[in-house]
Amino acid sequence: MKPDRRRFLGVALAGLWPKTDRPITGSFVNESDRAGHRLRSRGPFATPASRVRVPLVIVGAGMAGLSAAWRLDKRGFRQFVLLEMEKQAGGVSRWGENDITAFPWGAHYVPVPGPKSLLIRELLEDLGVLSNGKWDEYRLCFSPQERLYIHGRWQDGIEPNLGATRRDHDQYRRFEQRMREFRASGAFTIPLEREGRVPEGPLDRISMADWLRLEGFDSPYLAWYINYACRDDYGAASSVASAWAGIHYFAAREPDEKGPLVWPEGNGWIVRRLEKRLAGYLRTGSMVCRIVPEGARLRVVTETVEYLADCVIFAAPTFLAPYLIENAPPVSRFEYSPWLTANLVIERPPREAGIEQAWDNVVFDSPTLGYVVATHQSLRTYQERNVWTFYWALSDGPAARNRKLLLSTDWHYWKEAILDDLARAHRDIRQCVSRIDIMRLGHAMVRPTVGFLSSEERRRVAHLNGPLLFAHSDLSGFSIIEEAQYRGVTAADRALARLGGSR
Amino acid sequence: MSVVLFLSVLLIAACGLVYELIAGTLASYLLGDSVLQFSTIIGSYLFAMGIGSWLSRFLNRGLVARFVAIELMVGLVGGFSSAMLFLGFAYGHAFRFELYTVVIAIGILVGLEIPLLMRILKDRFQFRDLVSHVLTFDYLGALGASLLFPLILVPKLGLVRSAMLFGIVNAVVALWSTFLFSSQLVRTVSLRIASAAVLVALGCGMAFARYITVAAENNIYADEVIFARDTHYQRIVLTKWKDDIRLFLSSHLQFSSRDEYRYHEALVHPGLAAVPGARRVLVLGGGDGLAVREILKYPSVQSITLVDLDPEMTRLFSTHPLLTPLNGGSLKNPRVKVINADAFVWLQQDSGLFYDFAVVDFPDPTNYSLGKLYTTTFYRLLARHLTPHGLMAVQSTSPLFARQTYWCIVETLKQAGLEVHPYHAYVPAFGEWGFVLAGTEPYRPPTKLPPGLRFLTPRTLPELFEFPSDMTPVPAEPNRLNDQVLVRYYDQEWSVITH
Repeated sequence: MKPDRRRFLGVALAGLWPKTDRPITGSFVNESDRAGHRLRSRGPFATPASRVRVPLVIVGAGMAGLSAAWRLDKRGFRQFVLLEMEKQAGGVSRWGENDITAFPWGAHYVPVPGPKSLLIRELLEDLGVLSNGKWDEYRLCFSPQERLYIHGRWQDGIEPNLGATRRDHDQYRRFEQRMREFRASGAFTIPLEREGRVPEGPLDRISMADWLRLEGFDSPYLAWYINYACRDDYGAASSVASAWAGIHYFAAREPDEKGPLVWPEGNGWIVRRLEKRLAGYLRTGSMVCRIVPEGARLRVVTETVEYLADCVIFAAPTFLAPYLIENAPPVSRFEYSPWLTANLVIERPPREAGIEQAWDNVVFDSPTLGYVVATHQSLRTYQERNVWTFYWALSDGPAARNRKLLLSTDWHYWKEAILDDLARAHRDIRQCVSRIDIMRLGHAMVRPTVGFLSSEERRRVAHLNGPLLFAHSDLSGFSIIEEAQYRGVTAADRALARLGGSR
Repeated sequence: MSVVLFLSVLLIAACGLVYELIAGTLASYLLGDSVLQFSTIIGSYLFAMGIGSWLSRFLNRGLVARFVAIELMVGLVGGFSSAMLFLGFAYGHAFRFELYTVVIAIGILVGLEIPLLMRILKDRFQFRDLVSHVLTFDYLGALGASLLFPLILVPKLGLVRSAMLFGIVNAVVALWSTFLFSSQLVRTVSLRIASAAVLVALGCGMAFARYITVAAENNIYADEVIFARDTHYQRIVLTKWKDDIRLFLSSHLQFSSRDEYRYHEALVHPGLAAVPGARRVLVLGGGDGLAVREILKYPSVQSITLVDLDPEMTRLFSTHPLLTPLNGGSLKNPRVKVINADAFVWLQQDSGLFYDFAVVDFPDPTNYSLGKLYTTTFYRLLARHLTPHGLMAVQSTSPLFARQTYWCIVETLKQAGLEVHPYHAYVPAFGEWGFVLAGTEPYRPPTKLPPGLRFLTPRTLPELFEFPSDMTPVPAEPNRLNDQVLVRYYDQEWSVITH
């Protein structure tokens, strides 16, 4: 038993290895902003060759649209189509694959749902992740789940521990206590509007950072941690996200089994299964150019087919509504954060000491969100090549400026920025990476900014009840799978009630 | 001029402290018990410095030449100290003697430096200023070295090259002293040649330090290394001393040929002899073929499937002339099928074959990757590959040294829905070692064992299932894929032992 000797000699030998950087290839991928710009400038579009009558059209096959279709299909309703502009369904839950593994392009986990989250439990039960009240052990994230690089070392967990003083720890405990109280109040639920509750009151009128100040929390480590949580879940700094939203992140979930649920391709795993199940309804590569009322019906125009529908579920990002829908309700309060995700092909693990690579790896005080490891759920004991998915919500400063920066700079710029950021924790990263593919999303997710959740505008769009229904996690202010699913399912139910009446 | 002089003081002080730190670190690392090592090293070093200071009174003539010579000696002895000690530990038999000899030699030489230098300088400065300046720079150098050592030197250069770097500093001080004090020197040229020679020697040392460390590492095994290879997955090292062959995987001892029969008999027979007429046996890990050798003692066994990750390991134990006698050529037996695969993945893909007995002989759960092979999920998966009366025997670390680790594995098997039968055996090379039998049917210890065993008898075998009070169960959580407590238990318990 002499593990220490070996580790020690590793240190003694460090610096003797030849160092050459690998050539790194890659490009921007899944670029859809050209199509997006065509939508916003209203053309030019090809004229559709055929016209189809269909009771219901779902626009957008992201998680909300897929969930609406899942609900309709389960309730035995089959007369609908699901239109998706991209070649691949999934929206921000899209995924990719290479010779090493499948990997996510966006959403990459589902927190283990508590006993009250019935809808998401039903979906996961359908997909075999939950059976007889037990979660599939191969899907619950393996140990070690998270680690944080801080003060030159990796520590277990993301809450900063290295360097934190007793005062910091006291504040962690007091913060947790406050969150327990909020949880017990029952006001913070997932989905947001479960049991008909709507956020209101003073907590939605100040930012999370202000709330921390008012409550006397001044620990810089706690502030970093909360800001990280807001950037990670909302793509917004804690000074931008409302206190109600910030607290929701911590107070809405009942503590349950150690998770989250993860797959190599992230939530793309769910997308793949839903896609297969709903293949008969799905029309990918069908960009909707216009939605126009025609009598009591709606005309949904794509470049190939024009659908005449009794009801339309608009499950695309809400900000697109004014560009597509004639007489769309106002959606000017919906703000979005620009994101960048990158998949890095790792040819050999970086040399490092201390805590082993976790599923989620975060660097303290980095502007980025760190990376997740696609092969984390592999049963292998040894993994040479790998894929890391790197996340970066451009949350520092005005969104419009960041969006412009994101879309006007080239691949080399971001490749270097990503490598520089990773080099903080992995000095030899440039010798390990062979490929970096980057996906840019100008409007990746809605931001629960101060006042947004309690705004009249959000409520109006969310609860529209007519031939045109909205369904998207945007309507909840949180870009999480439970909200997308809830919006899709409830829109499907409203559509069925309406169509049932007219049939 | 005086700046350069006092800079020399600073440098030689730094050198002196670095050698002391290197000796202390090396000793703690190689011998353990850092408090004892550092205390005794610092004590003898300071004492030796005292001897040096006392000896300085006997040096009267040619002070500068003596100073230069001492610098060169410090440079040589200090510079090569850690290389010598590494290799000495690996090859020699009197490491402690060597260690303290080196420490005392450097201490005496370093103890001579400052008194000599002060006497050389005594005519250039007032005594009051001289003492004040020399000591100030002496302590400044010590501070610099003590900060540089842990922050830069050890992580960047390693111990071997750090010592050499400071040896070079000593030699440079010697060389520039021949210029500084050239007026007080007679044989300037020969001293300069000597300095250059020391510099070249240390320079070469720096360049070839890698080979020294590798050579030392190969030999930080107590015995002669007869085979060493880095495979894709681990470092395989075989050592031999007289008739004792030892196998190390990534520095962890796997067996000693003198007593491995105890380990492998205990691993195989309590389980396999209790499954009458067992025909199909699975071995996971155990690429050394020693467990297979025991299994082949059962004529009823028709096929043995051995799954080991490392092809180099199974190839070595199938062909190496020193190793095949150990396992009796078991891996070449026609009843044995060797598969090189990751056990968990292989089990998941193995199509519905059932085994009467399974041996689970993985490396200890030193990290989360290996820890996966000790989880409820893994055991449940393996249990699905057993026949209804089948049993598995799991190597489970030491119930004495790592008590909670051991009982955590027992608890994990229990949580996987299995009946558990923990037992242990004494293996001199390891100490008390633990195993667990697990299955679905009630277990009764066998009354008959195959002939030719050296350790187990039917009468003593049931005693293995008795645990003395210092090894009885302690509460432990089960080890799950999403909450690997086992790795944390193991880390805590073994770190207490190895430090």
